[in-house]
Amino acid sequence: MEKQNFIECERKGLQKLINFRLPSYFYKIGMVVIGISIVMMFVRAFALDGDQEVFKEVLRRLFVIGLLLMSIAKDKDEDEMVIKLRMQSYTYAFIAGVLYALIIPFVEYGVSNAFKPEGEAFHDIGDFQLLIFILGVQLMCFHTLKRMR
Amino acid sequence: MFSHLKTHEIMENTIKVERAILSLTQDDLAKKIGVSRQTINSIEANRYVPSTVLALKLSQVFGKHVNEFFKLSSDD
Repeated sequence: MEKQNFIECERKGLQKLINFRLPSYFYKIGMVVIGISIVMMFVRAFALDGDQEVFKEVLRRLFVIGLLLMSIAKDKDEDEMVIKLRMQSYTYAFIAGVLYALIIPFVEYGVSNAFKPEGEAFHDIGDFQLLIFILGVQLMCFHTLKRMR
Repeated sequence: MFSHLKTHEIMENTIKVERAILSLTQDDLAKKIGVSRQTINSIEANRYVPSTVLALKLSQVFGKHVNEFFKLSSDD
């Protein structure tokens, strides 16, 4: 009996986690966070001098946090169809992300070595590049699917 | 075992007709069952198959059984 209760409790907890969404105003907060991080990236690149590596890392993280907030915020009229479309968009984004991680390093290597023999060495794409790509594709797919519904 | 079930079956519905009988707009119906107008539009156009819960809510609004306005049909 106790084991059954434990399983039931675990199932409810998991269900809560699966259904977790931030309130819809977090979408706008995410947009503001992204806007601030882009502006600060330009400021860092053109107006600030010296070693800004830590600042650059903070801004990259801010950008990803902004995208994540937009991604997990509820829609204004959230219903079961919107939930289904969001799940579909995560599936597409995941598949696109895997293909991107597999193909892009070869493309970058090929392009950089096509015209000059001493081009870039082969290297994998960075975590943030991949995260930004996945979240970007998810948001794009979600809005496209919503527009086409 | 399930040979009587066709593999390419799609769902058709007469929600548009039922809605017209009750003189409801898509927006009215959407508000009654707590979804967006676009969802009603997609269901009517057979682009989206609603959950059982939503189908039962529609059944309550129309005062009819679910299989009176939803039916399976073959697409070939």
